[in-house]
Order: sequence, then structure tokens, then C-alpha cells
Amino acid sequence: MTKSSQLTLVVVLLGLFALFYQGLWGDPRHIPTVLIGTDAPMVEGPDVETGQMISLNQFKGKVILLNFWASWCYECKVEHESVLQLHKLFKDDPNFVMLGINYQDKLPDAQQYLKEYGTTFAHMRDLKGQLAIDYGVYGVPETFVIDQQGKIRYKYVGPVTGHMYTKITQEIIAPLLQGQPNSTPS
Amino acid sequence: MIIEIGHFSTIIALVLSVFGMASAALALKTRNPDWARSGRMAVTLIFALLGIGMLSLVYSFIVRDFSVLYVANNSNSKLPFFYTVSAVWGGHEGSLLLWVFILSVFSTLAVWLHWRTQPTIMPYLIGVECAIIFGFLCLIVFLSSPFERLLPVPLEGKDLNPLLQDPAMVMHPPMLYMGYVGFSIPFSFAMAALFSGRLGEEWIKVTQRWTTFAWMCLTTGILLGGYWAYYELGWGGYWGWDPVENASFMPWLVGTAYLHSVLVQEKRKMFKVWNLFLIIVTFSLSLIGTFLVRSGVLTSVHSFATDPERGLYILIFVGTIIGIAFAALILRSAKLKSQVELDSLISRESIFLFNNLFFLVAAATVFLGTLYPLILETLSGAKVTVGPPYYNAVFMPIALGLLFLMGIGPYIPWRKASVANLKKSFSLPLLAGAIMVIVLAVTGIRNLYALAGTYVVAFSGMAIVMDFGKISQLYAQRNSSNIFKGCLAAFTANQRRYAAMLTHIGVLVLVIGIIASTIYQTEKVVSMKIGDEMAIGDYRMKLTNIHDVEGGNWKAEEGVFQVFEDETLLTELRPQKRIYNATQTPTTESAIYSINMGHIFLTMPEVSPEGVAVARGVLNPLILWVWGGGIIMGLGVILNILRPRKREE
Amino acid sequence: MFIPIRLAFLFLFVLATSWPVFAEVQDETLLDVQVREIAKTLRCTVCQTENIWESGAPLAQQMRGVVRDRLKLGHSPEDIKEYFLSRYGDYIMMQPPAHGVNWLLWAGPFILLLGGGLLLYKEVIGWVRRTPTPSTAPPPPLDEQARQRLERELES
Repeated sequence: MTKSSQLTLVVVLLGLFALFYQGLWGDPRHIPTVLIGTDAPMVEGPDVETGQMISLNQFKGKVILLNFWASWCYECKVEHESVLQLHKLFKDDPNFVMLGINYQDKLPDAQQYLKEYGTTFAHMRDLKGQLAIDYGVYGVPETFVIDQQGKIRYKYVGPVTGHMYTKITQEIIAPLLQGQPNSTPS
Repeated sequence: MIIEIGHFSTIIALVLSVFGMASAALALKTRNPDWARSGRMAVTLIFALLGIGMLSLVYSFIVRDFSVLYVANNSNSKLPFFYTVSAVWGGHEGSLLLWVFILSVFSTLAVWLHWRTQPTIMPYLIGVECAIIFGFLCLIVFLSSPFERLLPVPLEGKDLNPLLQDPAMVMHPPMLYMGYVGFSIPFSFAMAALFSGRLGEEWIKVTQRWTTFAWMCLTTGILLGGYWAYYELGWGGYWGWDPVENASFMPWLVGTAYLHSVLVQEKRKMFKVWNLFLIIVTFSLSLIGTFLVRSGVLTSVHSFATDPERGLYILIFVGTIIGIAFAALILRSAKLKSQVELDSLISRESIFLFNNLFFLVAAATVFLGTLYPLILETLSGAKVTVGPPYYNAVFMPIALGLLFLMGIGPYIPWRKASVANLKKSFSLPLLAGAIMVIVLAVTGIRNLYALAGTYVVAFSGMAIVMDFGKISQLYAQRNSSNIFKGCLAAFTANQRRYAAMLTHIGVLVLVIGIIASTIYQTEKVVSMKIGDEMAIGDYRMKLTNIHDVEGGNWKAEEGVFQVFEDETLLTELRPQKRIYNATQTPTTESAIYSINMGHIFLTMPEVSPEGVAVARGVLNPLILWVWGGGIIMGLGVILNILRPRKREE
Repeated sequence: MFIPIRLAFLFLFVLATSWPVFAEVQDETLLDVQVREIAKTLRCTVCQTENIWESGAPLAQQMRGVVRDRLKLGHSPEDIKEYFLSRYGDYIMMQPPAHGVNWLLWAGPFILLLGGGLLLYKEVIGWVRRTPTPSTAPPPPLDEQARQRLERELES
């Protein structure tokens, strides 16, 4: 074996194990979103409880928080309390709207879920899964923040609790509502 | 109580593996054969103790003891008996135990079989095998024990993943592990050669049958996995370039390279370092495959549930073994002067080198494709998918090159081939390929890969037949017997060579099956009501009924389809849409009819409440050649292993 | 009910059920084929390594529905792939796009093959040159070779 091939071998092996080590801490199921900064799709659908059509269009110019959920989803139950808490925090601000989007669900199940756990804001039904696909959703719960210009500012996959709750309320929504559209969403 | 016995035995086995390593080290230090003998005893006892561990787990499954966490997670009171046994390796913990159990079986066999003839190797063999066993047992005992109890005891188990409730899945993991683990024996001998500095041909000759056996198991395991995917996943394909499939394919590719290149060392005593390198890479890839599958670094349909802590441990363990092996190789090879003697570029030796190049590039391609998403994410944070379209595009040309070399290599003499020799050996095969391609082109086949593949297959096949025919004829003349006896005489006279040629023929058959069933697959999906028909290829399928059926642990909607060719009723196919009771997991059960070496493959993925069924029909021409080729390959390998010992061995 | 009426009903019933059922031949439409072609290039994001054609997951089913709806609306297959790309990124395609750093992935194997082949070729030529020419006579004619091989095989 020549010196150079020995060296190559060592470098390749070290690189490989560094890569594997790095890979251990990633989540292979996580898909980074490409939607940040793009126009939020103006979706519409019937209200879960009343059946009336709701359209995102009617909230143009406001800060919108979209929360995709389903009655069969465990982590949605986990985040339910803090999602209600979040709504309570901002609901008095006329520039804030919160909408739930019920994803891949049966209507009675969804209604039962809302009755059981309570809700303070409206929920839209995603009849054919089109809404979720428009938003690049792949697993519930997923939460989106849309700014006054109708651009998607933030997306999070997973329950909005604890640290994420603080981040979304204090670092994302509050600055937007205070008219600091240039604050950095990460 | 029983499971505690198993747990306890496994812990004792762990302790003994440390003892085995220690006695191996002492045997080397003191040169006292008693230490080697106690190492042998340790290995044998580990085998017995792990056997008890396995049995206790099997027993807990059979009596459906749901107080054992692993049993509760992978079994159910309604699970058919047949699958309660295979459920032992249906999850991460149990399959690890099976891995290390097979390892202990092979170690014990190797130690006893080679004890007399290879006394100097024994301490190394015992040490290396015990080290690998130690690593895996630590993982089992401390991080993924199948012996954990569950409190409170559930009344019912969660059931085995319905996809694994399939006969092919019963045999697939053991075969695959026997392949991976089998390579540990030549690996250990190679390490012994490196540590002791005796780098002759001895270790290669001794382990040749082990290598061949491991290769056969790995091949069978991979093919069984394909067979399972074909029947159970319901999309009519058998190979999806899934990370887990790739993890088993990589050691296969390098192992195959090794299988060929050792022939050069046996014959010409060259490429010593290269062969050591290949076997180390082969076994390393087996270990890395284990890491990839179980650490959660990559996702796949087959992934085990994972956590980073366990992944980190496997990484450290696998990294240590691989690191030591390569360090030994590098240090030793620095002192080794390579003395290569090649008479000609066109010689068997040099063809083998190019064969190795192609195999390694093929393995590197699979490796790159499998890890590319991880590499890209680490470097740039972006995520991509590397799926079948990539592999089909990139892998095919490499595979064609390999098949071509397969047609040339065995018929080029060692040392040097003359032009006359080349002409005589290859003009007819080249012509045969050309004729086949013209015939296919005339019948309207335009697919480039199909044509290229056919050319190469015809070429290689013709070369094999010609060579064997010529020798058989000479034998027949010499013994003045008929040609059949001549064939038999030729085969038995050089069984090693002609058994290998039989394996080559198996590969060709397999390749024909792959070409036909992928390029000429016809697929159709239609919605049908009862009484409707669909036509696919030359066949018509008429949905005559949809009814409910029930098995032990599942319920299903079953569609009854009559299959006609013209007006003749060929058969009735009954695909099902099953729901397994315990997990409420749906599966699509395919129904298959074999005709003209191909399959009519039917699934019914959906039935609407109004009784409209979605039927999915696939015609897979010549798919039986895929499995048939695999069987021929296996037969060739068995004949190779069972060949009578020759004087020089 | 009078017997004759019952009989009449029975007759009608028998007639109705035994009427030859003319099988309606169902076939794929062009739309079905197009849906399949597109669906095979898109990855099911929840099931990993499966395309949305082969996957039985609800999301894959809905994605197929979206593909179908958009085809019906007259979108071209390219538009539809573009749409999915804009929603999920490169991840949604079953193969990485052949641009940017991805060329390493696409060209890598061939670079290895050519580079390795060239290196090996040079090495082999070097070995051949350094090997002293064997003093043996030119190789015997072919039939003779075969005979020799036979002898060897018979011997061992």
C-alpha cells in the first residue's frame, strides 16, 4: 500500500464516521420547509362546527396563525391547552386571527374532539387534503404564522408547547403585531 | 421465570466473551495451548448459553407470555403459531439476539473444525470472534434487552407487524444474518494473518468454503427479501432500492469482488493486501449496515424504532472494530513489499482486477446513493430523496459492464492470452449476442437497456456453453463415451470451476428475469363494479364477487376475479384488503397466477362502501426467471461447497 | 296474494336475475395513465422511500387526488411537478434534480469508474512492463491448450 492510498483510506474512514456521528442527532423524518417568505395559499373550507365557508382571504392584512390538527393525532392533544392559551393571549388584538385546519379526519370525530377539549376559535375542514398539500403539510400538528402581507413567516412541525410556545408567541407573533415586520424569523 | 433464565444466560455469555478475549490474549502471550483450549471452551459455552437465551425467548413467544415486554410488543393471542416463532426476530431486540446467536454458532463451528489444522490461528480467531460477540452482547444486555418484563401485565399483546406475517419473512432475517455473520470467519482469519504476519495463501484456502457459504446465505437472504416485498407490499416489484435493502446489497457486492479476487492469490500469490482489504471492507459493510438500519440515521420502510443513544453505542462499537482492522492493515502493509508479476494486460489476472473495480464502483454507487441525503443535509441542510430512478439510471451501465466481464474472465487463460485464443473463444459469443439483438430489434424491441442487456447475456451465456461443451467433448472422446457422460466427467473433474459457471448461468437467468419484468411490465388500475371486466395484455379479468372473509387474526374484503385468456377461464384470483384486528393495520394481499414463466399479479387496494373496487393488475413477464436464477445460483454454490477435497487443499 | 301473482313475481325475479349480465369492460383512461406516470415520480412524504403511487398512506392518496384534479383542470405534468416542488422542496421528487451539488451524485459513479479504470490500466501496464518476459515458448495452438487443460484436470 502506498502512502497516499493509506492516507486516503484514513481520511475516508474518519469522514464517514464523522458523518455518521452527525447523522445520529438529526431527525430523518423532518423535512425542511421551502415555504418561508412565500405567499400563503388563500385556502378555504367549511367550518367544522357550523358548516359555513371560511376563507383565508377574509383575514387579509392580519397576522394569521394556522394550526393543522386531527382528532386521531396524539401530539395535537398534547398541544391543545397551550394552543388555547396562545389564542387567549392575542385574541383581543384586532390584527390577530387564529384558525384551525382539521386534517384527514371524519367530521363527527372532529366535532366530538372540539366538544370534548373545547375551543375558542374557528376550524376549517380540509375536505380532500388539498389545503394540507398547499401548505406542504406532512404530519400533524403543524403550525404556520402568516404576516400582514400574506407571507408565510414561520412554520413548526410538532406540538407548540414549552419552549416552542414561548418562541412563537414572543419572537414571532408579538413582533409582527407590533409592526416590526423585519424581525428575524428563524 | 423462563425468560429470566434466558436473561441470566445471556449475561453469563457476556462475561464469558470477556474471558474468551482474555484467554486468547494469554494464549498468544504465554504460548501455552491450555489458554487456547479454555478460549475454545468459552466460545462453546457462549454458544450454549445464547442457545438457552434464544430458547427461552422462543418459549415465551409460544406460551404467549405477555409479561415479557418484547413478546407483548411483537405477538398477540391470535397470532398463528407459525409466526409466533418468527416473531422472535420480528423486532429490534430479538433480531439482535438472533444475530449474535448465529455468530456464536459459526464461531464454535470454526473453532472446532479448524482446531487441528490451524493451531496457530486459533487464539486470534477466538479473540476476534469474542470481541464481536462482546460488542453485540453489550448492546443487547444494556441497551436493547428482549428479556425485559412488563408491569402491569397486559391481557393482550400488540401483535407482530402484519407485514412480517409472511412465510418469506420467517426465513429472510436468519439467512441475511447468516450471510453477514458468515463473513466474520474469513474476517477473523484475515485479522489473524495481519496480526501474526503470516500473510500467505493459507488463510484464504482455509476460509474459501466459509466465504462461499456466507455469500450463498447473503444472496438467498437478499432474494427472499425481494420475494417478500413482491408478495407482501403489493406493488408488484421486488427491489425498491430502499436503504435497508441497500445495506444488505453493499456487503454482497464487495463480498462478490472478494470471492473472485482470492482466486488470483490462490493461483498466482499476488494481491495479498488487496484481498485483506476486500474482506475487511465486506465485513465492515455488514457492520455498517447494522448501524444504518438500527440507529435511525436513515429512514426506510423497514426501520426499527430507534434512539440516538443506542445509535451512538453501535457507532462506537462498529467504529472500533473497523478502526482496528484498517489500522492493522495499514501498519502491516507498510512493511509488505508488493511483488506483482503480470505477463499481459489481457490475462485472467487483469480481468479479475477490472471485475473488482466494477464491483467496488457498484458498491460505492449504492453507498453514495444511500448516504447522499445524509451528506447533503449535514453540509447544506437541504433534503433530497435518492430513489429508484437514480439507481436504475446509474447502476445499469455498471451492471452491464460486470456481466460482460463475466463472459470474458473465465475463458481467458492465466498469465497471457494470445490473439488466436481470443478469436477462438469469443468470436462465436460476440456473434450470438449480435444475432439476439437483431432478432429482438426486428420483433420491435427498441429499449436500449433491453437490447444491451440481451447482448451481454447472450455473449456471456454462449461463452460458458462453448467452453463447457469443448471440454466435455474432449472428455467424451478420451473415454469414448457419449457427450452426456462427457459433460458429467468434465463437471466432476473440475467441480469448483463448473459449479461456479453454474452460478454464472444463474446470474444470467436472473438478469433476463429482471430485464423482462422491469422493462416489459404492464400495469393497469381500474375501478370496477361486480360484473365489470378489465383487460390487461392478453388477459381479461372479471370481477364476479366481493365478499368478507376472516382469518385467525384478520378480517378482509376479498374480490373474486375470473381470469380469461380469450374465452377460456384460466383461474380465479382472490386479492384481499385485510385489516389485522389487533393493530387495525390494513394490508393489501396480492393474488398471483403464474403463466408462461411470468405472473398475473392482482391487488385490490380499495373497496368503496358502494361496492366499487379499485383493481390493480400487473403483468410481470418472465418474473419466475428471477427466482429461478436465484435457485440456480444457490445450486451452483452448494455444488461448489460440496466438491470433493483435492490433494492440495 | 294469489298464487298466479306470486308465480308471476317469481318468474320476473328469475328472469331478472338470470338475464345475461353483459360485462362492462373497464379500462384505464389517458388520465389514469398520466396520473400514474406523475405519481411514480413523487415521494410519499410520510412513508419515506415510497412513491405516492405505490404507497397506501392517506396523504399519498390525497396527493394522487391532487394530481388528478390538476390534470383535469388542464395543468401539464411539468406544472404539477413544479407545484409539488414549490410546496415540499426537492425532497418530494424521487430523484434529486441534476443540478447544483447534486452533479456529484449523478456523475460520481462514472468518475469513479473512469478514474479507477485509468489508474488500474496504468498500474497494470506498469506491472506488465516490470515483469521479466517469461522464457517459455510461444503459447501452443489452442486445441493443444485445451488438451493440456484436460490433462491438468484429469490429474488433479
